Amino acid sequence: MAPPRADPAVRSDAAILTGWYEAHGPAVYRFLRFQVATPDLAEELTAETFFRACRAAARYRPERAGARSWLVAIARNVLRDHRRRARLRDHLPLPTGGLRDLVSDAPSPEERLLREEEVSRLLAAVAALPAGERELIGLRYGSGLEPQEIAAVLGLRVGTVRSRLWRTLGRLRERLGP
Amino acid sequence: MTDPGLPPDLAAMDTRLRGVTFEPRASLGPEIAGRWARGERGGMDGPPGPPRRLALTALAALVVAAGAWWAERRDPGATRMVDRCCHDLDGGGVADDGVLVVTRDGREVRRLRIYEDLDRNGAYSPGDPVRFERGPVPAIGRPAPERAVTFRHCCADYDGGGPPDDGLLVIGAPPDRVLMAAIYETADADETAGSPLR
Repeated sequence: MAPPRADPAVRSDAAILTGWYEAHGPAVYRFLRFQVATPDLAEELTAETFFRACRAAARYRPERAGARSWLVAIARNVLRDHRRRARLRDHLPLPTGGLRDLVSDAPSPEERLLREEEVSRLLAAVAALPAGERELIGLRYGSGLEPQEIAAVLGLRVGTVRSRLWRTLGRLRERLGP
Repeated sequence: MTDPGLPPDLAAMDTRLRGVTFEPRASLGPEIAGRWARGERGGMDGPPGPPRRLALTALAALVVAAGAWWAERRDPGATRMVDRCCHDLDGGGVADDGVLVVTRDGREVRRLRIYEDLDRNGAYSPGDPVRFERGPVPAIGRPAPERAVTFRHCCADYDGGGPPDDGLLVIGAPPDRVLMAAIYETADADETAGSPLR
Protein backbone atom coordinates (compact mmCIF):
# COMPACT_ATOMS: atom_id res chain seq x y z
CA MET A 1 0.00 0.00 0.00
CA ALA A 2 1.43 3.35 -0.99
CA PRO A 3 2.18 5.71 1.91
CA PRO A 4 -0.33 8.52 2.25
CA ARG A 5 0.90 11.95 1.27
CA ALA A 6 1.88 14.01 4.27
CA ASP A 7 0.67 17.31 2.98
CA PRO A 8 -1.23 19.10 5.76
CA ALA A 9 -2.76 21.43 3.22
CA VAL A 10 -4.39 18.51 1.46
CA ARG A 11 -5.05 16.06 4.27
CA SER A 12 -5.83 16.61 7.93
CA ASP A 13 -3.43 15.35 10.59
CA ALA A 14 -5.96 12.77 11.73
CA ALA A 15 -6.36 11.41 8.19
CA ILE A 16 -2.58 11.14 7.79
CA LEU A 17 -2.31 9.33 11.13
CA THR A 18 -5.12 6.94 10.25
CA GLY A 19 -3.63 6.21 6.83
CA TRP A 20 -0.19 5.57 8.23
CA TYR A 21 -1.55 3.38 11.00
CA GLU A 22 -3.62 1.28 8.60
CA ALA A 23 -0.63 0.74 6.33
CA HIS A 24 2.14 0.31 8.89
CA GLY A 25 0.68 0.20 12.42
CA PRO A 26 0.99 -3.58 12.84
CA ALA A 27 4.63 -3.51 11.62
CA VAL A 28 5.49 -0.82 14.16
CA TYR A 29 3.64 -2.68 16.92
CA ARG A 30 5.39 -5.97 16.08
CA PHE A 31 8.81 -4.32 16.13
CA LEU A 32 8.06 -2.92 19.58
CA ARG A 33 6.50 -6.17 20.76
CA PHE A 34 9.82 -7.96 20.27
CA GLN A 35 11.42 -5.34 22.55
CA VAL A 36 9.01 -5.04 25.49
CA ALA A 37 7.38 -7.55 27.80
CA THR A 38 3.71 -6.64 27.62
CA PRO A 39 1.15 -5.93 24.90
CA ASP A 40 -0.03 -2.90 26.90
CA LEU A 41 3.37 -1.26 26.81
CA ALA A 42 3.83 -2.07 23.12
CA GLU A 43 0.47 -0.40 22.45
CA GLU A 44 1.40 2.72 24.37
CA LEU A 45 4.75 3.03 22.61
CA THR A 46 3.02 2.47 19.27
CA ALA A 47 0.65 5.33 20.07
CA GLU A 48 3.57 7.57 20.98
CA THR A 49 5.30 6.62 17.71
CA PHE A 50 2.32 7.72 15.65
CA PHE A 51 1.85 10.92 17.66
CA ARG A 52 5.47 11.81 16.97
CA ALA A 53 5.16 10.85 13.31
CA CYS A 54 2.12 13.05 12.96
CA ARG A 55 3.89 15.95 14.63
CA ALA A 56 6.78 15.51 12.19
CA ALA A 57 4.63 14.73 9.13
CA ALA A 58 5.68 17.88 7.29
CA ARG A 59 9.33 16.80 7.55
CA TYR A 60 8.78 13.36 6.03
CA ARG A 61 10.55 12.94 2.67
CA PRO A 62 9.29 9.87 0.78
CA GLU A 63 12.25 10.04 -1.60
CA ARG A 64 14.65 9.48 1.31
CA ALA A 65 12.95 6.59 3.10
CA GLY A 66 9.89 4.41 2.79
CA ALA A 67 7.09 5.22 5.23
CA ARG A 68 7.55 1.95 7.10
CA SER A 69 11.28 2.49 7.58
CA TRP A 70 10.66 6.07 8.69
CA LEU A 71 8.02 5.03 11.22
CA VAL A 72 10.17 2.21 12.57
CA ALA A 73 13.04 4.68 12.96
CA ILE A 74 10.72 6.87 15.05
CA ALA A 75 9.67 3.80 17.06
CA ARG A 76 13.37 3.14 17.80
CA ASN A 77 13.67 6.65 19.22
CA VAL A 78 10.50 6.24 21.26
CA LEU A 79 11.82 2.97 22.66
CA ARG A 80 15.21 4.48 23.45
CA ASP A 81 13.57 7.40 25.26
CA HIS A 82 11.31 5.04 27.17
CA ARG A 83 14.32 2.99 28.30
CA ARG A 84 16.24 6.08 29.35
CA ARG A 85 13.30 7.29 31.37
CA ALA A 86 12.85 3.86 32.87
CA ARG A 87 16.49 3.88 33.97
CA LEU A 88 16.22 7.39 35.36
CA ARG A 89 13.21 6.36 37.37
CA ASP A 90 14.83 3.14 38.58
CA HIS A 91 12.22 0.98 36.99
CA LEU A 92 12.48 -2.72 37.49
CA PRO A 93 12.11 -4.92 34.43
CA LEU A 94 8.49 -5.61 33.66
CA PRO A 95 7.24 -9.13 34.19
CA THR A 96 6.13 -11.13 31.18
CA GLY A 97 2.67 -9.90 30.43
CA GLY A 98 1.07 -12.78 28.62
CA LEU A 99 0.77 -13.48 24.94
CA ARG A 100 -2.82 -12.50 24.28
CA ASP A 101 -1.70 -10.81 21.04
CA LEU A 102 0.08 -13.88 19.66
CA VAL A 103 -1.43 -15.09 16.40
CA SER A 104 -1.88 -18.84 16.56
CA ASP A 105 -3.84 -21.33 14.49
CA ALA A 106 -3.66 -23.99 17.19
CA PRO A 107 -6.87 -26.05 16.95
CA SER A 108 -7.26 -26.63 20.69
CA PRO A 109 -6.62 -24.68 23.91
CA GLU A 110 -3.98 -27.23 24.91
CA GLU A 111 -2.07 -26.74 21.68
CA ARG A 112 -2.41 -23.00 22.00
CA LEU A 113 -0.87 -23.26 25.47
CA LEU A 114 2.00 -25.36 24.14
CA ARG A 115 2.56 -22.84 21.37
CA GLU A 116 2.61 -20.00 23.92
CA GLU A 117 5.17 -21.91 25.96
CA GLU A 118 7.37 -22.34 22.92
CA VAL A 119 7.11 -18.67 21.96
CA SER A 120 7.72 -17.58 25.57
CA ARG A 121 10.96 -19.54 25.53
CA LEU A 122 11.97 -17.96 22.24
CA LEU A 123 11.13 -14.45 23.46
CA ALA A 124 13.04 -15.01 26.68
CA ALA A 125 16.11 -15.91 24.61
CA VAL A 126 15.59 -12.79 22.46
CA ALA A 127 15.17 -10.65 25.59
CA ALA A 128 18.51 -11.93 26.90
CA LEU A 129 20.35 -10.67 23.79
CA PRO A 130 22.21 -7.35 23.82
CA ALA A 131 19.93 -4.43 22.87
CA GLY A 132 21.39 -4.03 19.37
CA GLU A 133 20.85 -7.67 18.48
CA ARG A 134 17.35 -7.69 19.94
CA GLU A 135 16.61 -4.66 17.80
CA LEU A 136 17.82 -6.48 14.69
CA ILE A 137 15.47 -9.36 15.44
CA GLY A 138 12.58 -6.91 15.91
CA LEU A 139 13.32 -5.12 12.67
CA ARG A 140 13.64 -8.31 10.64
CA TYR A 141 11.02 -10.59 12.17
CA GLY A 142 8.73 -8.07 13.85
CA SER A 143 8.48 -5.33 11.23
CA GLY A 144 9.38 -7.62 8.35
CA LEU A 145 11.97 -5.21 6.95
CA GLU A 146 14.40 -6.50 4.32
CA PRO A 147 18.15 -6.26 5.05
CA GLN A 148 18.41 -3.24 2.72
CA GLU A 149 15.70 -1.42 4.67
CA ILE A 150 17.26 -2.35 8.00
CA ALA A 151 20.58 -1.00 6.73
CA ALA A 152 18.88 2.31 5.92
CA VAL A 153 17.22 2.51 9.35
CA LEU A 154 20.43 1.71 11.23
CA GLY A 155 22.81 3.59 8.94
CA LEU A 156 24.84 0.45 8.24
CA ARG A 157 25.95 -1.41 5.13
CA VAL A 158 23.75 -4.25 3.96
CA GLY A 159 26.59 -6.72 4.37
CA THR A 160 27.09 -5.63 7.97
CA VAL A 161 23.39 -6.07 8.70
CA ARG A 162 23.42 -9.58 7.21
CA SER A 163 26.48 -10.72 9.12
CA ARG A 164 25.15 -9.31 12.42
CA LEU A 165 21.77 -10.88 11.84
CA TRP A 166 23.26 -14.28 11.11
CA ARG A 167 25.52 -14.05 14.13
CA THR A 168 22.45 -13.26 16.24
CA LEU A 169 20.53 -16.19 14.79
CA GLY A 170 23.48 -18.42 15.58
CA ARG A 171 23.52 -17.19 19.15
CA LEU A 172 19.80 -17.88 19.55
CA ARG A 173 20.24 -21.35 18.11
CA GLU A 174 22.97 -22.07 20.65
CA ARG A 175 20.74 -20.93 23.51
CA LEU A 176 17.62 -22.71 22.39
CA GLY A 177 19.02 -25.80 20.80
CA PRO A 178 17.95 -27.19 17.43
CA MET B 1 10.94 -13.21 2.45
CA THR B 2 13.81 -15.48 3.47
CA ASP B 3 17.18 -13.97 2.69
CA PRO B 4 18.60 -16.04 -0.21
CA GLY B 5 22.11 -15.82 1.27
CA LEU B 6 21.06 -17.23 4.65
CA PRO B 7 23.39 -20.05 5.74
CA PRO B 8 21.49 -23.37 5.68
CA ASP B 9 22.28 -24.14 9.33
CA LEU B 10 20.37 -20.99 10.37
CA ALA B 11 17.29 -21.69 8.25
CA ALA B 12 15.45 -23.49 11.06
CA MET B 13 15.91 -20.57 13.46
CA ASP B 14 14.83 -18.16 10.71
CA THR B 15 11.64 -20.17 10.19
CA ARG B 16 11.00 -20.35 13.92
CA LEU B 17 11.18 -16.57 14.31
CA ARG B 18 9.19 -16.00 11.15
CA GLY B 19 6.38 -18.02 12.70
CA VAL B 20 5.97 -15.61 15.61
CA THR B 21 3.36 -13.00 14.73
CA PHE B 22 1.73 -10.54 17.06
CA GLU B 23 -1.47 -8.77 16.18
CA PRO B 24 -2.36 -5.47 17.85
CA ARG B 25 -5.95 -5.32 19.06
CA ALA B 26 -8.35 -4.09 16.41
CA SER B 27 -9.36 -1.03 18.41
CA LEU B 28 -5.80 0.31 18.76
CA GLY B 29 -5.79 2.28 15.50
CA PRO B 30 -9.12 4.04 16.15
CA GLU B 31 -8.03 4.68 19.75
CA ILE B 32 -4.80 6.39 18.62
CA ALA B 33 -6.68 8.43 16.03
CA GLY B 34 -9.26 9.36 18.66
CA ARG B 35 -6.63 10.43 21.17
CA TRP B 36 -5.01 12.59 18.50
CA ALA B 37 -8.37 14.09 17.53
CA ARG B 38 -9.00 14.95 21.18
CA GLY B 39 -5.77 16.92 21.30
CA GLU B 40 -3.31 14.39 22.70
CA ARG B 41 0.09 14.88 21.12
CA GLY B 42 2.34 12.54 23.11
CA GLY B 43 5.27 14.01 24.90
CA MET B 44 7.57 11.23 25.90
CA ASP B 45 10.61 12.98 24.44
CA GLY B 46 13.99 11.81 25.60
CA PRO B 47 15.69 13.14 28.68
CA PRO B 48 17.96 16.10 27.93
CA GLY B 49 21.76 15.95 28.09
CA PRO B 50 23.64 17.18 31.23
CA PRO B 51 24.16 20.91 30.35
CA ARG B 52 20.63 21.30 29.09
CA ARG B 53 19.38 19.29 32.02
CA LEU B 54 21.05 21.68 34.45
CA ALA B 55 19.51 24.71 32.76
CA LEU B 56 16.15 23.01 32.65
CA THR B 57 16.41 22.03 36.31
CA ALA B 58 17.06 25.65 37.29
CA LEU B 59 14.21 26.77 35.07
CA ALA B 60 11.94 24.09 36.51
CA ALA B 61 12.80 25.18 40.06
CA LEU B 62 11.90 28.73 39.12
CA VAL B 63 8.66 27.62 37.53
CA VAL B 64 7.79 25.44 40.54
CA ALA B 65 8.43 28.32 42.93
CA ALA B 66 6.36 30.68 40.82
CA GLY B 67 3.70 28.00 40.49
CA ALA B 68 3.54 27.44 44.24
CA TRP B 69 3.21 31.16 44.81
CA TRP B 70 0.49 31.36 42.20
CA ALA B 71 -1.28 28.26 43.51
CA GLU B 72 -1.79 29.88 46.87
CA ARG B 73 -3.77 32.58 45.20
CA ARG B 74 -5.53 30.64 42.50
CA ASP B 75 -7.22 27.31 41.93
CA PRO B 76 -4.74 24.50 42.63
CA GLY B 77 -3.46 22.37 39.77
CA ALA B 78 -4.48 21.76 36.19
CA THR B 79 -7.09 19.10 35.56
CA ARG B 80 -6.37 16.49 32.92
CA MET B 81 -8.48 13.77 31.45
CA VAL B 82 -7.14 10.48 30.11
CA ASP B 83 -9.35 8.07 28.19
CA ARG B 84 -8.07 4.56 27.41
CA CYS B 85 -10.11 2.04 25.49
CA CYS B 86 -10.62 -0.87 25.02
CA HIS B 87 -9.96 -3.82 27.31
CA ASP B 88 -12.09 -6.45 28.97
CA LEU B 89 -12.39 -4.93 32.45
CA ASP B 90 -15.64 -6.43 33.67
CA GLY B 91 -14.98 -10.07 32.85
CA GLY B 92 -17.57 -10.18 30.11
CA GLY B 93 -15.05 -11.68 27.69
CA VAL B 94 -15.17 -8.80 25.21
CA ALA B 95 -12.56 -6.04 25.04
CA ASP B 96 -15.15 -3.29 24.98
CA ASP B 97 -14.48 -1.46 28.24
CA GLY B 98 -12.66 1.82 28.65
CA VAL B 99 -11.30 3.76 31.58
CA LEU B 100 -11.67 7.49 31.99
CA VAL B 101 -9.41 9.12 34.56
CA VAL B 102 -9.56 12.74 35.68
CA THR B 103 -6.40 13.81 37.49
CA ARG B 104 -5.01 16.98 38.94
CA ASP B 105 -1.42 17.83 38.10
CA GLY B 106 -1.06 14.46 36.38
CA ARG B 107 -0.91 12.72 39.78
CA GLU B 108 -3.89 13.11 42.05
CA VAL B 109 -6.84 11.04 40.85
CA ARG B 110 -10.06 13.00 41.15
CA ARG B 111 -12.43 10.71 39.30
CA LEU B 112 -12.20 7.28 37.73
CA ARG B 113 -14.87 5.77 35.52
CA ILE B 114 -15.10 2.37 33.82
CA TYR B 115 -17.49 2.35 30.89
CA GLU B 116 -18.62 0.05 28.14
CA ASP B 117 -17.80 1.44 24.72
CA LEU B 118 -21.25 0.72 23.33
CA ASP B 119 -20.87 2.75 20.13
CA ARG B 120 -17.38 1.31 19.48
CA ASN B 121 -15.78 4.67 18.87
CA GLY B 122 -12.79 3.89 21.09
CA ALA B 123 -13.63 6.59 23.63
CA TYR B 124 -16.25 7.52 26.19
CA SER B 125 -19.46 8.95 24.72
CA PRO B 126 -22.51 10.14 26.64
CA GLY B 127 -24.54 7.03 25.66
CA ASP B 128 -21.96 4.52 26.91
CA PRO B 129 -23.11 2.61 30.04
CA VAL B 130 -21.02 3.40 33.11
CA ARG B 131 -20.01 0.21 34.94
CA PHE B 132 -18.20 1.87 37.79
CA GLU B 133 -17.46 5.34 39.00
CA ARG B 134 -15.53 6.64 41.98
CA GLY B 135 -14.06 9.80 43.37
CA PRO B 136 -10.57 10.41 44.73
CA VAL B 137 -10.42 7.39 47.06
CA PRO B 138 -10.13 3.80 45.77
CA ALA B 139 -12.61 1.61 47.61
CA ILE B 140 -14.74 -1.46 47.04
CA GLY B 141 -18.31 -0.21 46.83
CA ARG B 142 -20.16 -3.50 47.23
CA PRO B 143 -19.43 -6.84 48.85
CA ALA B 144 -17.37 -8.97 46.46
CA PRO B 145 -19.34 -11.91 45.02
CA GLU B 146 -17.78 -15.34 44.75
CA ARG B 147 -16.87 -14.95 41.09
CA ALA B 148 -14.88 -11.75 41.34
CA VAL B 149 -11.96 -11.52 38.94
CA THR B 150 -8.94 -9.23 38.91
CA PHE B 151 -7.56 -7.48 35.85
CA ARG B 152 -4.24 -5.72 35.73
CA HIS B 153 -2.94 -3.67 32.82
CA CYS B 154 0.54 -2.25 32.84
CA CYS B 155 1.89 0.07 31.73
CA ALA B 156 0.31 3.13 30.16
CA ASP B 157 -0.09 6.80 30.95
CA TYR B 158 -3.29 6.67 32.96
CA ASP B 159 -2.72 9.84 34.96
CA GLY B 160 -1.77 12.25 32.17
CA GLY B 161 1.68 12.68 33.68
CA GLY B 162 3.46 11.86 30.40
CA PRO B 163 5.41 8.57 30.50
CA PRO B 164 3.58 5.23 30.33
CA ASP B 165 4.46 4.20 33.87
CA ASP B 166 1.04 3.60 35.42
CA GLY B 167 -0.79 0.38 36.02
CA LEU B 168 -4.55 -0.16 36.16
CA LEU B 169 -6.08 -2.59 38.65
CA VAL B 170 -9.73 -3.58 38.32
CA ILE B 171 -11.85 -6.06 40.26
CA GLY B 172 -14.71 -7.16 38.07
CA ALA B 173 -17.73 -9.39 38.60
CA PRO B 174 -18.59 -11.05 35.28
CA PRO B 175 -20.33 -10.44 33.06
CA ASP B 176 -20.69 -6.69 33.41
CA ARG B 177 -20.07 -5.41 36.94
CA VAL B 178 -17.01 -3.63 38.23
CA LEU B 179 -16.36 -3.52 41.99
CA MET B 180 -13.17 -1.57 42.26
CA ALA B 181 -10.75 0.27 40.02
CA ALA B 182 -7.56 2.10 40.81
CA ILE B 183 -4.33 3.14 39.16
CA TYR B 184 -0.83 2.92 40.55
CA GLU B 185 2.60 4.26 39.66
CA THR B 186 5.35 1.77 38.83
CA ALA B 187 8.24 4.20 39.20
CA ASP B 188 9.44 3.62 42.72
CA ALA B 189 8.66 0.03 43.58
CA ASP B 190 8.29 -3.44 42.24
CA GLU B 191 5.52 -3.29 39.69
CA THR B 192 3.52 -5.97 41.45
CA ALA B 193 3.77 -4.84 45.05
CA GLY B 194 4.21 -1.83 47.26
CA SER B 195 2.81 0.82 44.96
CA PRO B 196 0.00 2.76 46.60
CA LEU B 197 -3.32 2.62 44.81
CA ARG B 198 -4.67 5.93 43.66
